[in-house]
Amino acid sequence: MQTRRHKAAASGLMMVLALGLLLIWMPASAQGGAEIVRPTMVGQDTLHGADTVWVMVSTVLVLLMTLPGLALFYAGMVRRKNVLNTLASVLGIASVVSLLWFVVGYSWAFTPGAPWLGGNARMWFAGLDYQISTGMVAVSHMAPHIPESVFAMFQLAFAIITATLVVGALVERMRFSALLLFISLWTVLVYAPIAHWVWEPGGWLARMGALDFAGGAVVHINAGVAGLVCAWFLGPRKGYGREAFEPYNLGWTMVGASLLWVGWFGFNAGSALSAGGRAGLALTVTHIAAASGAVAWMLGEAVVRGRGSLLGLCSGLVAGLVAITPAAGFVTPAAALLIGGVAGLACYWGATGLKRLLRTDDSLDVFGVHGIGGIVGALLTGVLADKSIGGVEGSLWTQSLSVLAIVGYSSVATALLLWLTRLVVVDLRVDAQDELTGLDIALHRERLGS
Amino acid sequence: MNDTNILAIAAHLHVLLRRKTGRVTDTEWMACNAEYAQEIVRFSRQHAQADHLPELAEWADRLEQAMRQAATTLVVPPLLDSHTGPGGSAVPPPAPPRYVGGIR
Repeated sequence: MQTRRHKAAASGLMMVLALGLLLIWMPASAQGGAEIVRPTMVGQDTLHGADTVWVMVSTVLVLLMTLPGLALFYAGMVRRKNVLNTLASVLGIASVVSLLWFVVGYSWAFTPGAPWLGGNARMWFAGLDYQISTGMVAVSHMAPHIPESVFAMFQLAFAIITATLVVGALVERMRFSALLLFISLWTVLVYAPIAHWVWEPGGWLARMGALDFAGGAVVHINAGVAGLVCAWFLGPRKGYGREAFEPYNLGWTMVGASLLWVGWFGFNAGSALSAGGRAGLALTVTHIAAASGAVAWMLGEAVVRGRGSLLGLCSGLVAGLVAITPAAGFVTPAAALLIGGVAGLACYWGATGLKRLLRTDDSLDVFGVHGIGGIVGALLTGVLADKSIGGVEGSLWTQSLSVLAIVGYSSVATALLLWLTRLVVVDLRVDAQDELTGLDIALHRERLGS
Repeated sequence: MNDTNILAIAAHLHVLLRRKTGRVTDTEWMACNAEYAQEIVRFSRQHAQADHLPELAEWADRLEQAMRQAATTLVVPPLLDSHTGPGGSAVPPPAPPRYVGGIR
């Protein structure tokens, strides 16, 4: 039995190593004939000042969504004994992902390479230069009118929020060390490749014409699916389905949701990478979809339960924001109203009815809200994209294929990385006694004040 | 003070007692049975004093306080509530439990 287990472990490890080697080898092999792998320097005077300012402001807004937006949103929903651990998880992941983005993530996601993964040219942020003597500055081929340092930091804020979104599915039971190790691997081996597929012009989904303006698939479907797999892999919390898990403070959740709403203007309108009319329209549709999602969720609750709730309003506005994310630069305000409304109702079902069907303790409904909302948004983008706004036609077929590819890769790779993490850290979960005591005391020796 | 908090305190006391005195207790029973909890509080204080373990005494105090609060916040349901009609037959069905099996 033991030998069979070791054999299974060894073969699994070899699969992961093979995947890693493939990912490293492919971009290197593809670089032989590629032209744009070295830093591209342009004169400082060719940059656009207003665009640069807008993307810098947007970077701050997107970071605000995580710190403290998402941290408060999640911490308010867990039990009192796990509040500090939830906050620490978000802050810890933000720090670790920042370093990984600097070392390898940005390069693999946003430099030209193979259709599956970017190159190694920007590892350690190599080439993100600014030379005062010559007046030259590095720019990305994806945004040649702003400094590449700004573009890289804007994308860093996206990598951070994607990784921290996953936390909602696994709160109150995962070891802190296992979480940080898993998320590190996940950011490099799941988030960066998918970002490359969809956003880098040479990515295979981008070449097929998949539309994802600000990350409905790359960020939300990806995080939602990964969260669901994590929840399934970890198993339910002790007492799940039998005891009431009272949220610590839904007031915190409301403050967090509000910060998400405000920050989302940077997320979506910032993704225009310019301060022009498309950014203005993206900002408008973002707000309308959020409001529409909140109202739709509230109506759903009113019909099913006879009353609306604060958590329902918070969840609905997030659902609307998630769904408009892939569509923000492609649709009209009227389409945004529809997208937000459909997402509000679909995500209400995702966080209640579907959750019961799945029988998985996705603790804070990461899949129900982000996964379902992302899928709704991605598919409706294919239907409602307006050529006069984005210059491209939507295709339901391409969008469906994009969703399937991301769901497939994210779920399989996440499961594999969790398995690998368990090999290294021994166990992903805290022991039963620590779970009962609460992770604040058990893992951090810290306690929330009275 | 809700059940979850009492359970957390009981769990903490359980660990302390096991580590410091070797005594094994029933955490869930401690959180719901006042008599058993009181006995554990007495035992903890006794050992805290004898073995100079102030942390044990502190958690015993917390458990005692939590159990006292829980006892005083028990609400006795009224015989007739505002929804009851003159015949006393229109009692609304009990609301489904919140936060069991999902937060939303």
